[in-house]
Amino acid sequence: MIFKRLTVLMLVVVVAAGIVGPVGAQGSKSVTIAFDQEADNLNPMYTTMTFAGYVYAIFLSGAWNFDDELLPHPVLAAEIPSLENGGLSADGRMITITLRDDIKWSDGEPITSADFAFTHEMFVSDANSPLTRDPYNRITSLETPDERTVVVHFDEPFAPWLGLFRYILPEHILRPVYEADGSLDNAAWNRAPTVGSGPFVFAEWEVGSFIRGVRNENYFDAPALLDTIVIRFVPDPEAYLAALKNGDSDVGTFVAFPDLPELEATGFLDVGIYASGYNEGWFMNANPETAHPAMLDVNVRRALAYAFNRAQIDNDLLLGYTYPPSSYWEGTPYADPDLEPYPYDPEMATQLLDEAGWVDSDGDGIRDKDGQPLTLRYATNTRQIRMDVQVVVQQDFADLGIGIELLNYPSDIFWNTYADNGPMATGQYDIGQWSSSPDGFPDPDIVRFMCNEIPTPENPIGDNWQGYCNPDLDALFVEQARTMDYDARVAIFHQMDRVIKDDAIWIGVWYDADSWIYNTRIQNVRLNGASPFWNINEWDVAG
Amino acid sequence: MGRYIARRLLQAIPLLLIISLVLFVLMQAAGDPLATLGGRQPPRAEDRARLARQWGLDQPVLVQYLYWLVGNDWAMMDSDGDGIPDQPGTRKGVLRGDFGNSLVTRQPAMEVIMERVPNTLVLMLTAQALIIVFALLVGIYSALHQYSLMDNVLTGCSFAAFSMPIFFIALFSIYLFSIRFKAWGLPSFPTGGMYDPAVGRTFAQVASHLVLPAMSIALIDIARYSRYIRSNMLEVINSDYIRTARAKGLRERYILFIHAFKNAALPLVTLIGLDLPFLLAGAVVTERIFAWPGMGRLFLDHLNRTDIPVMMGLLMMISVAVVFFQLMTDIVYTWLDPRIRYT
Repeated sequence: MIFKRLTVLMLVVVVAAGIVGPVGAQGSKSVTIAFDQEADNLNPMYTTMTFAGYVYAIFLSGAWNFDDELLPHPVLAAEIPSLENGGLSADGRMITITLRDDIKWSDGEPITSADFAFTHEMFVSDANSPLTRDPYNRITSLETPDERTVVVHFDEPFAPWLGLFRYILPEHILRPVYEADGSLDNAAWNRAPTVGSGPFVFAEWEVGSFIRGVRNENYFDAPALLDTIVIRFVPDPEAYLAALKNGDSDVGTFVAFPDLPELEATGFLDVGIYASGYNEGWFMNANPETAHPAMLDVNVRRALAYAFNRAQIDNDLLLGYTYPPSSYWEGTPYADPDLEPYPYDPEMATQLLDEAGWVDSDGDGIRDKDGQPLTLRYATNTRQIRMDVQVVVQQDFADLGIGIELLNYPSDIFWNTYADNGPMATGQYDIGQWSSSPDGFPDPDIVRFMCNEIPTPENPIGDNWQGYCNPDLDALFVEQARTMDYDARVAIFHQMDRVIKDDAIWIGVWYDADSWIYNTRIQNVRLNGASPFWNINEWDVAG
Repeated sequence: MGRYIARRLLQAIPLLLIISLVLFVLMQAAGDPLATLGGRQPPRAEDRARLARQWGLDQPVLVQYLYWLVGNDWAMMDSDGDGIPDQPGTRKGVLRGDFGNSLVTRQPAMEVIMERVPNTLVLMLTAQALIIVFALLVGIYSALHQYSLMDNVLTGCSFAAFSMPIFFIALFSIYLFSIRFKAWGLPSFPTGGMYDPAVGRTFAQVASHLVLPAMSIALIDIARYSRYIRSNMLEVINSDYIRTARAKGLRERYILFIHAFKNAALPLVTLIGLDLPFLLAGAVVTERIFAWPGMGRLFLDHLNRTDIPVMMGLLMMISVAVVFFQLMTDIVYTWLDPRIRYT
C-alpha cells in the first residue's frame, strides 16, 4: 500500500513539475545564447577565454569594433584614426583618438579620456596580474589633453594599433577599488560589471548556469531592441545540441562540423561559418639543430604538402564545411586571394623526393638517404580529429615511402614553453599540427616566423618554434608592423603569403572558422568571428 | 563515548595534513595552470613567466605547499619581476582560513566552492532521498515476496538499471522527456540548467529542472541499494529471533519494521555513511549533461584549468567530510546495535 501511494505521489510530482517546466517569460523579448564553457571573468584584463570575450563584449564598449566584413567602425571614438584625418602620425608613432561627445556609462556618468588612461594604467600596473599586457605594454606614453582626446605614443611605428582599447574600464568605479585593495585582481566588478557601456547591462550571474543582461537604457548608440539577453552554459555536447533543437537556446557556436547537418535539418536553425583568425596547419620544423635533415630541404617540405590529401580529409572528416587554406591569414583581407593551396599530387611528391635524393635504397618500404630513413615525427595534441588526421596521413605517406612516427601530447604539455622543455617549443618534432590565430585578430600581426623569435637558452620566450629563418620574410614582417597605410599593409601580407607558401614552412590543413547556429526567429543577426555580437543592439525577435 | 570521539578527532588532524600534502603533490601532475589560461592558444611566453611569478607557481612544490598551508605574509616576495624580493606576500594560508584565490575566477577558493554547495545538495539530497525511499520499498517488497513474479521483475529491472551507464540514462531521458515529449505536444522537461532565468528561482522551476537529473542519479543507486536491502532482509527474516517473535504473537508489521529491519539496516548505514560525504562532491557526469551548477561541474571545470586552490579546497572539504561521516557512522552503529560499545 505504502509503495503504491509513494509511487503515485512521485508520478504526480514528476508530471506537475513537467507541466510547469517549459513556462518562460511572457511579453518580453529575450534571446538565449548557449556556450559550452562558462566565462571565467568579465574584466578583459583577466581573461583570454573566447567565451568570456564574447560575454563582456555585450556589456562593454571600446574605441572601435569590427563589423561582419571584419572592417573597423568607430564606437566610442568619433572616427577611426587615419593618416587622412590626422589620427595617425606620418611616422606611425602617435595615434590621436577623438571621442564622441555623447558617450556615457550605464549609470549615466560620461565616458572620458580618463577612462582610456585608466585602462592603460591598469593593464601595465605591477600591482595587477592581467593574463596579457599586450598590446598596452607597447605604449611609451599616453596623454589626455582634454576629456575627448587620447594621444598614444610608441617608440616604434605600431601598425596593429587597432588591438588597443577594444574595451574600456570605468575609472569612476574601479579607481577606488584599486586604491583601497592595491590591485584590481579581486574586484567584485570583474565578475559583476554592473556599470558598463554596452547595449546591455549586466544583471546577474547564476554561477554554473547563466549570465543575464538587460537593455542599457543609457546606451549612447541605438538602444537594444531586445529586453534581455541570457547566456547559458551547457557543457555536454549532446545536451548542447538538444538545447538548440528543443528551442531552449537560440544561438550556439563551436558545434562540431559533423553535427551541423542535423541542426540545419530542424528547419528553424541557420548555420553560418565565420572566420575566427584560426587556421589548422602543419608547422614544419626547419631548425638545423632539431629537425630531421630532410626537413631542411624546401623540396622535401613541398613534397609533403603535395602528398597530403587535405581536401579529402576536409570533405570526409569535416563534411565539406571547410577547405584547405592557402594563407596563414585565410578568411581575412590579408590573405592573398590569388594564392592557391598545394594540390594533392602524389606524382609530384614522388618526383620531388626522388630529385632530393630520398629513395628507398634498401627495399624496406621507407625512403632513405645517406643511411638515414625518411621517418618523420608528426606531433599534435590529443584532440580526436587531429589524431584521426594523423592516421590518414600515416597511411597515405606509407604509399610514398615516407615513414611517420605519431606523437600525441596532452595540451598542457604540448604547449609548454622552451624553458619547460615543451615538445613543440624545443623542436621535438618534424611536422607539428595545431590551430593558430594572430593574437590581435582581426589584425594580422604575428612574429611566429621571424628569425629573432627562434627560442634559445638566451631567448626562451621566442615564438618561432620551427627554427625557420628567412631574412627576406623577416624584412617583410618588420615592414608590415611599421606600415600604417591599410592597402600597403595588405599588399605586404600578400607578399608574405607567397614566401610562406614557397618555403612550405606552414601548410594549411583546414580553414578553422567558427560555426554559429541561430534560431531563425532572431532578426538582424550579422555575426563575425572576432566580435560576433557587434550589432546585438539591432537583434530582434519575431512576434 | 566522549573520549572516543575526542580521540578520533585528534587522530584526524595528522591524517588530514598527510592527505593535504599528498593531494598537493599529486595536483602538480594534473597539468599546468598556465598552459592555455582558458584561451585557444598558449599565452605569450613573457606573460606566462610573469604570471608564474605573480601566482607563486615558479616556486618549488614544497614551498608552494608551505605557502598554501601557512601563508606567505611572513616572507618577502618579488612583486615586479626584478629578482629582488621587495614586499611581503598577502596569503594567510589554510590554517588561518585562507585557501587562496582561484586561478580561474580570481575569487577566494572557498567562495567559489560554497557558491556550488547548495546547488549540489539540492540535487544530491533529492536523489539520495529517492534512492533510500525506493530502494527500501523495492528491497523489502522483494525480500518479503521472494521468487514471486514481481520479485523477479524487480530483480531484472534492478540489474538492468545497475548495468546502464549514467550518461546513457541522462541523455536518453533528455531525448525522451524533453525533445520527444515536446515534439508530441506533451508536457516536457527542460534540457538543463537549474531554472529558467526569465522566470526566476522558484520552487516549481527548480523542481521541474530537478526531475530528470535526480531521477537519472537515483535510478542506478536504487538498484544497487535495493539488492543490499533484499539480501539483508532475507537473512534476518529467516533467523531464529524473528521466528520467536512470530511465535510470541507479535504483529507482522511490528516484527518486520522493528525487529527485522533495524538489524537488516546495519549494512545499509555503512553504505549510506560511505556515500554521504560524496554527496558534497556532486555528480560529475549528471551535472555536466544537465548543466546543473553543482560541485561535479565545478570539479571538472577547474580541473581542466588546473586551478590548484579550488581543487585543493574541494578535495580537502571532501576529505574532512569523509572523516566526519565515518565517525558519525560509527556512532549510529551504537544506537542500532546496543552490543557495540566504544571506549
